[in-house]
Amino acid sequence: MIFLEQLRGELRKLFARPRTYMGYGAFLALEALVLFFYKLDETQNWSRRQLEQNGLDFSTFYSSLSISFMMILLSMFTLGSIFFALVGGDIVAKENEDGNLRLVFARPVTRLRLLLVKYAAVGIYTFTFVIFVSITGYLMAAAAVGFNGGLFAMEPKMKIFAAFPKWADGATRLSMGMIGIAISMITLSSIAFMFSCFRIKPAAATIVTLAILFVDMILQNFPFFKPYEEYFVTYRMSAWLFMLEKHIDWAKIAESYVLLGGLNVTLFIIGWLAFQTRDFKT
Amino acid sequence: MLEISGLWKQFAGKPALEDVSFNVRKGEIYGLLGHNGAGKSTTLGIILGMVEPQRGSVKIGGHEVGRERAQALRKVGAIFESPAFYEYLSGWENLRILTSYSGGFNKADAREVVERVGLTKRIDSKVRTYSHGMRQRLALAQALLPEPEILLLDEPTDGLDPEGIHWFREFILGLRKERGMTVLFNSHLLGEVEIMCDRVAILREGRRIYEGNVRELASDVPVFNIELDLWENACQVIHASGGKLMEPGKISLPVEVDPAALVASLVGAGVKVRAFTPVKKSLEDFYMEIRRNGTADPLAIDR
Repeated sequence: MIFLEQLRGELRKLFARPRTYMGYGAFLALEALVLFFYKLDETQNWSRRQLEQNGLDFSTFYSSLSISFMMILLSMFTLGSIFFALVGGDIVAKENEDGNLRLVFARPVTRLRLLLVKYAAVGIYTFTFVIFVSITGYLMAAAAVGFNGGLFAMEPKMKIFAAFPKWADGATRLSMGMIGIAISMITLSSIAFMFSCFRIKPAAATIVTLAILFVDMILQNFPFFKPYEEYFVTYRMSAWLFMLEKHIDWAKIAESYVLLGGLNVTLFIIGWLAFQTRDFKT
Repeated sequence: MLEISGLWKQFAGKPALEDVSFNVRKGEIYGLLGHNGAGKSTTLGIILGMVEPQRGSVKIGGHEVGRERAQALRKVGAIFESPAFYEYLSGWENLRILTSYSGGFNKADAREVVERVGLTKRIDSKVRTYSHGMRQRLALAQALLPEPEILLLDEPTDGLDPEGIHWFREFILGLRKERGMTVLFNSHLLGEVEIMCDRVAILREGRRIYEGNVRELASDVPVFNIELDLWENACQVIHASGGKLMEPGKISLPVEVDPAALVASLVGAGVKVRAFTPVKKSLEDFYMEIRRNGTADPLAIDR
């Protein structure tokens, strides 16, 4: 009960800060921009060619589901990662920099409890952010091209090629995928959170996290590393795409999420140990 | 109530505290003095478990901070110089969040404390709109929630105007009177420490160089202002009694000399004594002396 009261306070702090909403605003703007391009004749013609080359009907698969899938695929690891790294990197380091932690440390709360509350808040922020972006993306796409239509999802690197002509099937798979990516992105926030626990500036925690993410993504694309792609974090974070395969391989998905979960716990423990052994001078 | 035993702390190989010990009794206001970097804030950090000492221990109400931090801090409230609140939240929300880390928020208690510190009208405003004085009142409110038995005050009156300092002092003294509150008061304002504290410890370069009762400082020092007409005659009498002329109009006497007998001797020597008044040594005088010499009255120094 007290944990929930503390978590409520942490979320109140998080959502009372204007910078927390920068991500929401940026994504809404991005979604509007993507839709604008999707409505251009050139884009529609290109989409028509792509779909017809794959033997798919344009009128069925040029849909709100397909567009919102593309929005998430294109934006979450790029624009989204910036905001997750920003919030995760701020959550401890910024409070230390601003001096807020001194007042909290004058309270009978353990450092572990404090970090658990903050980590839970970051996790909730990350999860709800992805769900918000997914829902608004779909609603905006539906407003632009209509609610009906199936789902066409293609991601060559992960060997995903899926077409669900019925709206209900497509919406179910896309919803599962959105929940999957929301969980995946918690790993990115966990990396930022871990750095935030060190004696480090909040901006440095954010930048180091983004550097790790981008290096991981770049290296994964090198042919040399192709045989080792399963060792890359971003590969595991992309496991949500497997939920769009015609026959879902739950074992493959579970393996990735267990690994990500283990990584999250490890990152938290490293952050906690760093935080626990630090001196906080008044 | 608060037992500090043999604290040692180094930062990057440089000693910050060396064998610092003192006890604060229940209901006492204890002053911690020292120059910048003397180790006052480090001591406070160790008391709150924010800084880990290399050696030594801190006990609050019998609970050791190193091993039972949560129990030890359950009855502690703390105020820091320039307390950093969440600026983008209201005073009330700040209280709610901070108190949640002490086991829960009680609206009725919070309202009472807010009223007591005089913040009722502004408690729902964002903290970024508060003046320095209002922030200190809010700091006091959060420190008083929920019901501490000991207050740790780190430069609490820095930056306050005279009215603010007066209000703060009276508030703390009132808390001691009403609730028997124990207070550890860390300040540069020696006048405030002198008025408020029962005992003081002076730190220098991480060592405690003095601990004593503030009220006894003046009575130990037999210095007098004297106004008279025949200084030549007077000096002979003063020297004969063992006294010394410190500066024009000011003499010191050995403790065994009765000042009344000296005045009688001066009058007997034909000196017209217009005024003879004991000089009360202020805490500031005492502090500066101890800072200059490294020691003060050897009877008062215990290390």
